[in-house]
Amino acid sequence: MISGGPILRGFRWRWLRNRLFSFRSLTALLASLVGFILVLMVVFLALYAWPAVRLNGTGFLTQNSWNLGNLYGNPITVHGQQILPGAEYGILFLIAGTLLSTAIALLIAVPFGVGAAMFLSEGVPPPVRPWISFFVELLAAIPSVVYGLWGYVVVIPFLGHHIFPLVVRWLGFLPFLGGPAGSGYGLFTAGFVLSLMIVPLITATLRDALVGQPPELRDGAMALGATRFEALRTVLLPAARRVLVGSTILATGRALGETMAVLMVSGNALNYLPSNIYTPISTMASFIVSQLDSALQDPTGMAVRSLAEVALVLCLISIVVNALARVLLHYQGRHLLRAF
Amino acid sequence: MAAGIAEIEATAVHSVTRLRRFQDYLGWSASALAFLLLGGAMVWILAIVFVKGLDSLTPQVLTHVTEGTGGGLLNAIEGTMVLALGGVLLAVPPGLACGIYLAEIDVLVGVPSIVIGYFGYVTMVVMLGWQFSAAAGSVALAIISLPYISRTTEMALREVPRGLREAAYALGATDRAVVLGISVPAALPGILTGILLALAISVGETAPLLYTAGWSSYLWNGHLIKEPIGYLTYVIWAFITEPFASAQALAYAAALFVTLFVLVISVLSRLLLDQSVGWRGRS
Amino acid sequence: MLLHHRRVSALTHRLILGGCVLVLTFAASVMPSANAAKTGGSANLLETGSSLLYPLFNLWVPTYTQSNANVRITTQSTGSGTGISQAVEGIAQIGASDAYMSDALLKEHPDMLNIPLAISMQMVNYNLPGLNQRHLKLSGPVLAEIYQGKVKTWNDGAIASLNPGVKLPDHGIIPVHRTDGSGDTFIFTQYLSFSAPEWGNSIRYGTTVSWPAVSGGLGAVGNPGMITATKDNPYTIAYIGTSYQNAIEKDGLGIAMLKNRDGNFVLPEAKTADAAAAVMVAKTPKDERVSLIFAPGADSYPIINYEYAIVNRKQPSADTAAALRTFFTWAISPSGGNAAHFMKEVNFVALPAAVAKLSADQIAEIR
Repeated sequence: MISGGPILRGFRWRWLRNRLFSFRSLTALLASLVGFILVLMVVFLALYAWPAVRLNGTGFLTQNSWNLGNLYGNPITVHGQQILPGAEYGILFLIAGTLLSTAIALLIAVPFGVGAAMFLSEGVPPPVRPWISFFVELLAAIPSVVYGLWGYVVVIPFLGHHIFPLVVRWLGFLPFLGGPAGSGYGLFTAGFVLSLMIVPLITATLRDALVGQPPELRDGAMALGATRFEALRTVLLPAARRVLVGSTILATGRALGETMAVLMVSGNALNYLPSNIYTPISTMASFIVSQLDSALQDPTGMAVRSLAEVALVLCLISIVVNALARVLLHYQGRHLLRAF
Repeated sequence: MAAGIAEIEATAVHSVTRLRRFQDYLGWSASALAFLLLGGAMVWILAIVFVKGLDSLTPQVLTHVTEGTGGGLLNAIEGTMVLALGGVLLAVPPGLACGIYLAEIDVLVGVPSIVIGYFGYVTMVVMLGWQFSAAAGSVALAIISLPYISRTTEMALREVPRGLREAAYALGATDRAVVLGISVPAALPGILTGILLALAISVGETAPLLYTAGWSSYLWNGHLIKEPIGYLTYVIWAFITEPFASAQALAYAAALFVTLFVLVISVLSRLLLDQSVGWRGRS
Repeated sequence: MLLHHRRVSALTHRLILGGCVLVLTFAASVMPSANAAKTGGSANLLETGSSLLYPLFNLWVPTYTQSNANVRITTQSTGSGTGISQAVEGIAQIGASDAYMSDALLKEHPDMLNIPLAISMQMVNYNLPGLNQRHLKLSGPVLAEIYQGKVKTWNDGAIASLNPGVKLPDHGIIPVHRTDGSGDTFIFTQYLSFSAPEWGNSIRYGTTVSWPAVSGGLGAVGNPGMITATKDNPYTIAYIGTSYQNAIEKDGLGIAMLKNRDGNFVLPEAKTADAAAAVMVAKTPKDERVSLIFAPGADSYPIINYEYAIVNRKQPSADTAAALRTFFTWAISPSGGNAAHFMKEVNFVALPAAVAKLSADQIAEIR
């Protein structure tokens, strides 16, 4: 290699260009661009909502007082911010609605999901298994708005006119099951529809985990005298515990962010907490959709920023829940192979 | 004495076995019931969609655009296709890149679609001045589908045997040749599954499109920006509550199309996945 | 292994090929139609907003576009709040709203016009088994107390005293309100505010208000949502626009007689609306932002209002401005949009001539 000014410079530049524009680095750049979008979204939300965060303080999370104020009055200044007179933003009822509807969804989805997974893993002959499980997995593919349609047209009249009055009559002494039977729009209906959407997440992963267990586990249990079901219940299922927990958390993440189906069946409550399972509720996601256009009419912009604060809270909760699920599901000690 | 003990033992074993058999029976029944109820719910949903949807299917639905609260769904069907395809096309390159490079963007799954929609509204519709547009809608859909494409690509690529790659490197292939020429084709069924999944999700999304694509009663005129576009899920959401029979009929028909499309995609991706499993199983 | 790889690839390749063919044929069919409006003088208009004005717009658009083929108008029923906000943002060309813009909002966006296109009414409806054929008498203060949860049962003294001789059921009242940004909420709460000072000082009026939490109360989206909520649940009471009166009557729901400013109980009909309009026309200012609620007059119906098109006077293109001007001029003309057959279908009232003149002046400002 003859060393010399221009030749040396040229060589280095080519080296640099090869490194920068190599397939590997271009791909990496594209990939990190995506991560950048996510960070951008959260940062943008946080920045936009910051004035609202400062104004609302901790009362945002502890009070039931969502009030846009006098939309036709003149803005006043509170704590150095311009807001409409009477404006106040407290979303306790949203947090309650979101958490309670998700809790009910899990209460229904986990037992049914586990039961279905057990049935699918052991009770169905292997050739037929993929197609029968596929039928249940379809529940996850149906779009949220179609669930909303089904809920609105079929489930609400069914629950409101037939089931809820019966439950109130016969089981009304139990806590949260008594009181006015409502109209069908409410907490339980939302939870029920959500449960159907998330159950396949639990069933599919758990079934795969149960089927994928080393056969020695089952054989060993049966050699000790257990029946197939007992082997399933006492040995295989506990061995898949981490998968169950992980998929449940994933399901929670999905339920927390559901919008359209909940919007159509929840009853859209404002500023009150549910007293029983038939009471209307609102979730954070459905509230944003239903209130965004009203909020846009606030000339001070504080209403939209407060909605952005709601979105931020929801976003952070969802991200944390999903990250937790990933950690639990990936923590198998498996090597992450690179593609090249 | 010995006979007495044997008798006691025999009785004890017998009753324990009976109890356990009963528990077994209970257990299987419970899990079968769980499965049946879930299957029943699936049938219930499909029933209402198909029965009411087929009822509302007239030739007009496929030949007319939406006129107010009546008419047909031609504009909505076209719009859904445009938005879904646009979204997938935009999502595939970055999604593949993420799957290849294994960036951990799974957390994007945690962002609710309404947040992405609102973010899209503020940035694209208002700040960039695109207004309601096919571009804004497609970008929002792309952001939502990205994690799914990335995850399935990553899983599919991971299954490609190292030996294949190492042999290619040994023969002097560049990174690009190895990935695009060896790994990706080998993992193609899995990658395609991810793309189909993204397509299904895009067809079914509503909330983000409400704030990025808007709605139009007319066929798409080719403008990517400053021109709203129709889509099927809007019809389901907005028309089912209208008190006019024509509007509700359109909502059911739209639900039928969307559900059918999603079902077909699910079956296709199951077929693809079965193939790839077969191959992996033998290697 | 390579053999299997090849076999799988072949099928996969076929699938991919098939998929591409499908996509291409679809793309070809979807390519913008040749007659996409690109000629001069054409415009694509997006109308969004009030669910009360929506049925009328859906009647107008097919008739209008038949004789004006170079204009495409898409209509949406999203609520007056959305109508105002999207018109202000410039995303929709026509924001339909039952409510005029507030002073503060107008100060921030001084280029917006509030143009009345017609006069509408609002009913108070209820679902009382056995009593839906009767027109119950209700007043603003009583309604205010119902929506605050202070009057809890249908046979409460306050309602009974207004309806002597009517056997009211001993059952809880379920008040239904709008959850979206709604012009109907605006005019209803104005009625409550003007007739019941106690509501006027605390909850006031707006396209959205902080509804007091009443046990059993329901929230609904859009006028259609209000109809469904009332129809499906007995003992409900709701406020619904008269453009849905046909649906209400078909569903057999009750229509209330409301107490007007002069103390008389009147039904929502053309006669009572005309009476109220006649009184309030003189009070309409140049920018036409005025409330017609609780008008004086023996026969006046207390809840009538202008249906506004919220439009920006500065449009991005001359074509759009011209299209808007032409459309609005047709809409307010008694031989066009304000013709009797249109008004009758939705139970609206045509704009009085003096108001139409004011609207025409505003329309002329759209450039």
